[in-house]
Amino acid sequence: MTRRDLIHKWLAYALGLLPVWLLDAYILPRVPLWGTVVPMLLPLAAAAVAVLEGAYAGTGFGMAVGLLWELTYPGGFGGQVFFLALAGMVMGAVSQYALSQSFPGCLICSAGVLGLLDFLRVGRMLFINAADLPDLLQVAIPEFCWSLVWTPLVWLLFRSVYNRVGGTKLA
Amino acid sequence: MKDFFRQNGILLLVIAFLLSVLIGVLSFVMGGQADPLSNLVNTITAPVRGGVSAAADWLEGVYGYVFRYGEMEEELKALRAQVGKLEEEVRQGEEASRENEQLRKLLDLKERRREFTFETAKVTARSASNWESTLTLSKGSSVGIEAGDCVITETGVLVGIVAETGINWSTVSTIINTDTAIGGIVTRTYSAGVLEGDFSLMNQGKLKLNYLPEGAQLVSGDEVLTSGRGDMFPSGLPVGQVEEVFTDPSGQTRYAVVIPSVALDSLIEVFVIKDFEIVE
Repeated sequence: MTRRDLIHKWLAYALGLLPVWLLDAYILPRVPLWGTVVPMLLPLAAAAVAVLEGAYAGTGFGMAVGLLWELTYPGGFGGQVFFLALAGMVMGAVSQYALSQSFPGCLICSAGVLGLLDFLRVGRMLFINAADLPDLLQVAIPEFCWSLVWTPLVWLLFRSVYNRVGGTKLA
Repeated sequence: MKDFFRQNGILLLVIAFLLSVLIGVLSFVMGGQADPLSNLVNTITAPVRGGVSAAADWLEGVYGYVFRYGEMEEELKALRAQVGKLEEEVRQGEEASRENEQLRKLLDLKERRREFTFETAKVTARSASNWESTLTLSKGSSVGIEAGDCVITETGVLVGIVAETGINWSTVSTIINTDTAIGGIVTRTYSAGVLEGDFSLMNQGKLKLNYLPEGAQLVSGDEVLTSGRGDMFPSGLPVGQVEEVFTDPSGQTRYAVVIPSVALDSLIEVFVIKDFEIVE
């Protein structure tokens, strides 16, 4: 695969990320489920690409998604860049060696990364004594479930990108 | 070994770690100012935010016109009645103000005044997270907005406090957000406390008025304003109404749950108070 093909491929993935980001950052927060719950779509995008492209590409795409998250959303402190890069690497490796590079694999990986994100948030909030566990779970569980519902859409989007330019198709 | 690292993305992971540390250090050092990277990205993406926000506002307007026409007509009728009532109150208020002015002159007191320097801004984004309540505005440090400035609606109701500013954008921590703390006072009893966001109340769109004095006799519906203590924020900005009063689990302090007067999910335009002078 030439450098040009590589740039073409990752530009296509970046274009795929654009509607997911717009939906996540600007559209879905206007129409929260039950008036309060907003899904997290960016980790799903990282999971989908990691499952399709493997550990190395998953790390890079995870890092890019993490950067987007940190730089365009308020209240960031840098942790998402490393977290999503690491998650991309682990999800890519797991889907390559243990699961399949398919929708069920993506669903499991998405559940894993969303669960871990919420687990870390709940842990942090408990550590700083911001709220009680039942209150935190009231936010974390609906967020986890509502985010997971969006997995098929995100998977289909990145699967269609993969079918055109993914793997070594441009080579 | 080098190939193993390359194939498994370990080098990328190291870069990601360094980037995380860099962003973390920058955001810690910059305080209320956005770090250079966030500032650059958000400045570039501001037109996208503005465009999406304008399109969504237009669609919401069309939806409201088509599907909520009857409801809006009812609301209009109620508002007309309210305007009539308020006009009568204004007439009475003007009379009282004139009398107050004369009495102040008689007693040789300083003239009472409230002067605000405003900056209007559009709400271009709402918090995309379930763990905080923030708004992104269309203006920032280029027009003099600073972290700590109060944000109000066109009717003067408190929306929140500016938390971070970039060149042409700023983020506002709303009054229900967990990191908001501002002095509050109940107008009927003059009981002062601290208005604070609480995680369990945030998702219900409410906040707490903490550390109430022991003898405070609050009732549901009491109006809560900002107290202006510490001169950091202006006094007298309406915040909301008391819903219920509780005793802290420790049994030592009492707090009131406050329903904000502002409808945070339907804000389109707000006013940032860049400077103020109040003589009581």
